[in-house]
This record gives sequence, structure tokens and C-alpha cells, in this order.
Amino acid sequence: MSKKISLFLLPILIFGQSNFFGYYEGEFDQLKFANQTYNYGYNKLRLDFEAHPDDMVTIGANINIQKYNDNISWNLLDFLPSDIWQPIFQPEGYHEEMWITEFPIALLDTMYLDNIYLKAGFEHFDLTVGKQQISLGTGYAWNPIDIFNSKQLLDPTYEQTGVNAVRAEFPIKGRTSLDVILSPGKDWTESAKMLQLKTGLGRFDMHGTIGQYTWNRMVFDPHQFLLITQKDERTLFGGAIVGEIVGAGIWLEGAWNQMENQDDFAEVVIGTDYTFENGLYIIMEYLRNENGISSKENLDINHYLQYFMGETHSLMQDYLFGFLSYPINDFIQFGLLGFGNLNDNSAALNPQISWNMFQDVDLTMMYSHFIGDDNTEFGVQDWGWRIRLRGYF
Amino acid sequence: MKKFLAIIMSIATTIIAQSAIPTGTELVEKMSEIMTQENSTAIMTQTITTSSGKQRTFEFEMFTSGEGEKTLMRYLKPSAARGQAFLMLNNADDIWTYFPRTKRVRKLSSSSKNQKVQGSDFSFEDMGSGDSWKTEYNSTNLGSEKYDGTDCWKLESIGIPEENPSYSKMGVYMRKADFYPIKINYFDENDFIEKTLLMSDIKEIEGVPTAMKMTMKNHLEGTETTMQTLFTTYSWQPPENFFTERELKK
Repeated sequence: MSKKISLFLLPILIFGQSNFFGYYEGEFDQLKFANQTYNYGYNKLRLDFEAHPDDMVTIGANINIQKYNDNISWNLLDFLPSDIWQPIFQPEGYHEEMWITEFPIALLDTMYLDNIYLKAGFEHFDLTVGKQQISLGTGYAWNPIDIFNSKQLLDPTYEQTGVNAVRAEFPIKGRTSLDVILSPGKDWTESAKMLQLKTGLGRFDMHGTIGQYTWNRMVFDPHQFLLITQKDERTLFGGAIVGEIVGAGIWLEGAWNQMENQDDFAEVVIGTDYTFENGLYIIMEYLRNENGISSKENLDINHYLQYFMGETHSLMQDYLFGFLSYPINDFIQFGLLGFGNLNDNSAALNPQISWNMFQDVDLTMMYSHFIGDDNTEFGVQDWGWRIRLRGYF
Repeated sequence: MKKFLAIIMSIATTIIAQSAIPTGTELVEKMSEIMTQENSTAIMTQTITTSSGKQRTFEFEMFTSGEGEKTLMRYLKPSAARGQAFLMLNNADDIWTYFPRTKRVRKLSSSSKNQKVQGSDFSFEDMGSGDSWKTEYNSTNLGSEKYDGTDCWKLESIGIPEENPSYSKMGVYMRKADFYPIKINYFDENDFIEKTLLMSDIKEIEGVPTAMKMTMKNHLEGTETTMQTLFTTYSWQPPENFFTERELKK
């Protein structure tokens, strides 16, 4: 009897030191592109769990459950300029009946373990093992040194998906530390390895990074109509510096990427921000990504696929990002976000309102207006708006 | 007779010395001695009340060291802010913030040090400025005045422009008995009272007078923020390398 009681008590004892928290997020979007208006939305539950079996040990996990509604089936071709996909899907010389007009993508309801890790603090280092969120770099909209993630353009601060990794962080002295990350692949070559040395000097923080991994990139095979994966060895030498000049924040983050099969390339972000006395906050960034394409005439479907899959940080080479926010009152914030593709002269403008409706409940409303010719990155879409409600618990 | 005169002179000198009016600098020194202990830790609530009467309540833990030169704040409640943390070094000239949702640390520029912390009426500099009072302001004792029935020294501190102070002027009522401030007016560049800080429920914690309740009233926006101390101690000793990114991310 006592054994049975113990078995029943065990989970209670474990969970007794645990925290459950998370949020509900509901979103509704309406988009206009390709002469049609689409409705789209989802309900998402993020359930976080955190336990501290010891003062120096944390076990963390979260499950994401996401259920889509309205339009769950999309045509990828609607997101691409017609001169990109028509030569492949509707080639000249083929009868119209042979033409392909759709490349369907379905949004499937999901439930997955996003993060699950154990973090142990030792005297001279912290060790985190498991699927964990790894956010690298100092840039706001882009992070050239981040080989694990690619940010959403209109929502650069949205949480990233967990990465299977072993991470050891060694504080050395003061602001100096060493970060070692190993994300295992099927063998040592395919595993991502990264070393980052951080330090501080006066009002500036800086780091040097070296990383090596196998870059998997999606390529469309037009003969078999299949997506295949191309592999390439990538070695990254990166660094960043962040500080301030006369009260304005400034940062520079860059990486030189040595490739085994394709051309080596550099990727650099430079940014600045400033907060005015009245609470107006302005941030601007410029991205130069040599891995992108310099002219829209040279783009093909693979560039778009790799960008949509998050395998590259940008489609083209030169971008400008700007965001300003102003507190209308203690609970309502106005924001204006903008992206400009300097190579194809297209842009996205995104005014938004964030309202802290109740304690732990936020409502965000945003409108997106896209500028540019139909065969440009942003101009392929017309407009969109979004309402997002998030309640934390 | 000479001996008698010497004694009289000695007593008179002592009386004059004791009744001498302290200078502004001396008052700031005395106030700093009490207000900025070498180390401290506390758990506090922060209730923001808007002009329309709506409220938001936060709970955070706070660690300070080096007489307030280093500060680490971590939000415990509500769920939306849970785990968000700020590290302020060099009297809040250097600020780093940690966002637990994205596991990202971001350095804030010093232009943001006058901004509200979590929408409250306290700025980063209010929370982590340590003894900047001594270095960024010239202070003058304006004499005695009663405030709320208490005998007070009235202190005026004028910001030194080259030191880039957060406020152009501050006016302080401090208790004569222990030099503890009970009211501080913060002025803007037009000599208008921008904010007022009221310290109340003052208790002796480990021999140090401590305001268990602090209310900042924002006269420009009609809002106020009350910070209530739930627990505090001055005997906390920070472990080595505590005020670093490692602790910020915990």
C-alpha cells in the first residue's frame, strides 16, 4: 500500500517544484495577392514546463499546439513572380493542357515538442543539453552569424524553433566568456560546430565566432518535379561589435563564409538605434548579403525556395530595415516597420498598434502595404492585415 | 581662570559645531550613506496606475552591489514579463536586457536610460543610478522646513550639464533625525515638477532605515507607480562574477 502511495506521490513531488506557463495565441490574417483575397488564421497554445530539481539544474520543455483555420491550402506559385515560375511550369512549346498552374502547400495542424533540455550550472561553466533555442548575433532584423535560424521579416522578435545541441558556456572573467555549441548531425562533418569568444571593452561588447557545418539547401529538379537537397560545407568566420556613440546605439555584425562548392561570400549588418526623451524609439539596419542575388533578372525558383525555407537570410543582396515605436499611453504602443529591397526597388510598410488590454493579454493589429512591380520580392503581394491576440498564463 | 575659559570655549565650540547647518554636499553624503548600502537584495511589487485608474502589477527581484553601481533586476510576475531581466552597470550607463522568450541579450544605448522600466514611472536611471547624485549634481541646503509634520532639511540639487544628468533639478525633503529622504521632486528643464517620489512606511532593516513603500507620481501623464518591498536584506554577498550576462540569463 505504501509503495502505491509513493508511486502516486512521486509525480506530485517532482511537479511540486515545477512551473507550468505559456500562452494562447490567436491570429487572423487577410492577404491580397495574385488578384485574390485570402483569409488565414490559427489558434496556438504554447505550454512551457520548467523544473529545478537542484539549485544549479533546470529542466525546460515546451509543447506547441497549432490549429490552422480558413485557407489552409496555398499555391506556392502565387508568392513568386510569374517570370520565375512560368518558364518551368508553363514552358513555351507545351500545350496549355500540359501547363501546371498550382504547386500546393498545405498548412497542417501541428503538435510538437519545440524545446526540451537540461541546463546544469557548474562552478566554471554552464552546460545545456537537448533541443534548445539558440539565438546568436547582435543584429535586430538579420544575424549573419546565426547559422541556426532565419528571422521572420515582419516579426523579427518572434521566438525561434529549438535546435538539438550541446552548449557549454564558460565565463572567463568579467564580460569575457567562451561559448561552445555542437549540434549533432548524422556524422561529424554534418554536425554544426561553433565557438564564440565574447568580451567587453569600455562601452563596447564584441565577439569573434567561428563555425563549421553542412549547409543543406533545397533545389527544385525541373525534370522530375521534385525537391532535392544539395549539401555544401560551410565554414564561417564572424564577429560583432555593439556599443554607442553620443547616446545612440550602434552595432556591426558580419561573417565571411568559406564554401566548399560554391563561391565564398560575406554577409554584414550595420545598425543604429536611439530613444528620444518623449519615448519615441527608432532603429535602422542595413544588410549586405553577398549570398543573395544582385539583380532580379538573375533570380530563379531555387533562390526563392531557399529563402522561403529559411536556408538563406535574404533573397537579394541589399536591404534596409527601419522600425519606430511610440507609446501613445502606458498600454498602447504605435509602431511603423519598413523593409526595403534596394536591388529590385520593392518595399513593405507595416503600421501597427499594440495594446496591453489586460494584465497578461496583448492585442496587436497591423496593416501591411507592399510597394514595387509585380515581379519584385515585396511587390508580388498587394496588401494584408493581421490581428493577433495573445494571453499569457 | 584660564582653565575655566578654555572649558567654556571648548563647550561653546562644540555647541556651535553641533548646531551648524550642514552644507548641501554634506547632506548628499549623509543621504547616500543610508540609501546606497554596499550590497542589497529585495523582492518588490510594482503597481502602475494610469490616469484612468487602470492598474498593472509586477513582481521582481533586485540585486545591487558597489553602493548601487551594479544592479540586476529580474521579473517574477506576471506571466508576460516572467524572466525578463535587466543588468545595469556603471550607475545604469550600461544596460543589458534579457528576453526569455527569445533567449536573447540586447545592449541598450544610454539614450534609453531615462525611459520607463516596464511602463512604470521609474526610469532605468531611477532604478540603477547608485550614487550618481554625488557626481552629476551640485547640491545646496535650502534650510529647515516641515513636511508632513516632520522636521526636514530641504535640499536642492542642480544637474551638471557636462555630466548629462537625467533631471535638470531635484528638490529633496530629508528627515533631520536620520537624513532619510521622504519626498523628492524631479524637475524638467522648464523648472516644472515632472515627477514626485514619496517614501513611506520607513522601517529599520538590519539597522538601516528603509522605505517599504515608494510612490512615484508622474505629473505630466497623471500616472503613478507604487513599489512595495516584500523582502529585503543588506547582508547579501554577491558571488563572484554575479553581475554578468551569465546571471542575467538564469
